[in-house]
Amino acid sequence: MREDAPVLMGRGLTRSFGDGDSRFYALSDVTLDLFRGQIALLMGPSGSGKSTLLAVLSGLLRPDSGQVIASPDGQSVDIWQLSNRERESFRLKHCGFIFQGYNLFPALTARQQLEIVLRWGEGVPAREARERADDMLGLLGLAKKSKQLPGSLSGGEKQRVAIGRALIKSPQFVFADEPTSALDWAHGEQVIELLRTAAHERGSTILVVSHDHRILPFVDAVFHLEDGRLDENDGVEGKTPAAAAHAED
Amino acid sequence: MSYTLATLWFDRQRYIPGVLAVAFSALLIALQCGLLLGLFSVTSIPIDRANAHVWVGPPKVLSVDVAQPMSENRARAWLESQPEVDMRTVEPYILKFAGWEKPSGGTELCIVIGCNLNEGAIGAVPELTDELRTKLTERDTIVVDESELERLDIKGVGDTAKILDHKVRVVGLVKGMKSIAGPYVFCSLVTARRALRFSPDQTVYVLAKCHDSKDAPGMVKRLAAEQSRKEEHEALSVFTKQEFSLRSRLHWLTKTKAGIALGYAALLGLMVGGVVTVQTLYGATMASMREYATLLALGIPRWRIALTIVSQAFMIGVFGVIISWPVVYLLAEAASLLGVKPQLPVWLLGGAGIITLIMAVGAGSLALRAIKRIEPVNLLR
Repeated sequence: MREDAPVLMGRGLTRSFGDGDSRFYALSDVTLDLFRGQIALLMGPSGSGKSTLLAVLSGLLRPDSGQVIASPDGQSVDIWQLSNRERESFRLKHCGFIFQGYNLFPALTARQQLEIVLRWGEGVPAREARERADDMLGLLGLAKKSKQLPGSLSGGEKQRVAIGRALIKSPQFVFADEPTSALDWAHGEQVIELLRTAAHERGSTILVVSHDHRILPFVDAVFHLEDGRLDENDGVEGKTPAAAAHAED
Repeated sequence: MSYTLATLWFDRQRYIPGVLAVAFSALLIALQCGLLLGLFSVTSIPIDRANAHVWVGPPKVLSVDVAQPMSENRARAWLESQPEVDMRTVEPYILKFAGWEKPSGGTELCIVIGCNLNEGAIGAVPELTDELRTKLTERDTIVVDESELERLDIKGVGDTAKILDHKVRVVGLVKGMKSIAGPYVFCSLVTARRALRFSPDQTVYVLAKCHDSKDAPGMVKRLAAEQSRKEEHEALSVFTKQEFSLRSRLHWLTKTKAGIALGYAALLGLMVGGVVTVQTLYGATMASMREYATLLALGIPRWRIALTIVSQAFMIGVFGVIISWPVVYLLAEAASLLGVKPQLPVWLLGGAGIITLIMAVGAGSLALRAIKRIEPVNLLR
């Protein structure tokens, strides 16, 4: 077991949809811990509540009950006790997202996709935003693609730009929803490797939702969700090859 | 702004309807106003074609053709005492509506213009050639525009008619002096006074030139201030040529309610432009919903995305207005060929552009309702 304290804790999270007879529970009393520098995989069949859990943990969807305690910089905060504006600010400061689609603006270059987050979010001056975007694209192996529009990038390159957009702010938490689903495994492996590097080298906490079992060797912890409930033995470190290797580092 | 421009250019097919709608609005406003200005410039022709720098008239003159007679001597003495005024140029000028009795019966309103006909006279329009001026020195003779013959119920030179029961004879015709309200009837001061039953000391205006035309605005301002301290019924009206011309046109614009018609036409143009722009921006924003939702998930505030949409609206407005200008000029030229000459001063084009830009930004604000529909959590379903 890890000795450091979790940086993101879900406690008794319950979320339902619908009313009366049509009400169903996407999450039922879910509790989980995520740690600094950890890449965790959330698996489960379709409709098991994976995306709902990701949305609740990331401050995008309010749970019916339960708490999400985040401690990105030492101080703990229940993100669902924050006002909408405070939660928006929390996400701006601490959260990165990678969605199933790339969701890149078709008119903007790879560099601009990253710049926009810094400039619009934090008001970073144009020059600094440009330099940081170029640095990030360099880390992602996209230095030569910085001026290209999404239309001229491959699927893998687009997803790497989307990862760059999620990581450019150096967030503590990164939430990735099926980041490899639209890619062949060669590109998928690259993407998951990048996320693992972000966790292990930058100390980010990364939660990946995926059906893809090939990801398993790359993650530190695995959570299985079924009918809105987590497997009791989930999230224990040392169960995956990546966790073992990480523990040896 | 570079992101906005990049987006507009990349997705130009989508934004073109908005740009064209804005251009249409700007064009409609500018051309409507230009046509009306052109039309009502006819009302100030006697001022615009005359050579006077300063016009002095009776109290509270609203328009060149709406003024009562006054004493010539008083206004003349006052003007001649001003150091800027060239005393030799001071002269009376009569312009007044009168009843024209048609030879075959019935009456028509006409505007009698009696002015000094000497060489160097500053009130006479240049269309009155030396030959016509000489003819007009004969008592009770007149000159009219050839296009007004039918309206006056006469056939041409040599015909006679009556103004306020005073017989006059046509001795010449001019071109390009058509009027809206009533045909202009040019004559000498003597003939005008006789026909209008003015006493020899009566005039409607006294005109003057300054030694230096640049002195006119300053002098007029000073004289107007001086007159404003007098009792209302004693205070003479004093204007520069430009002021009086504009005043006359604006009077007609408001008096005939043409301004209201203009307002409606402009409003219609703005509404068409506004609706298309709102729809264009709304559609474009909805099409980028997933990208904006991603930014919202990343914590980018909604107002920042709203600002982007409004800046898109502003740029659509700028492009639309720029496109409209050459088209306005082309259509104005086409209208001129049809005999209607729109006036398109820079302030008019600028004003139409600003109004249209405000409309475009307003349309952008209305399109912001699209942002309310963007929820980042939807990206996870």
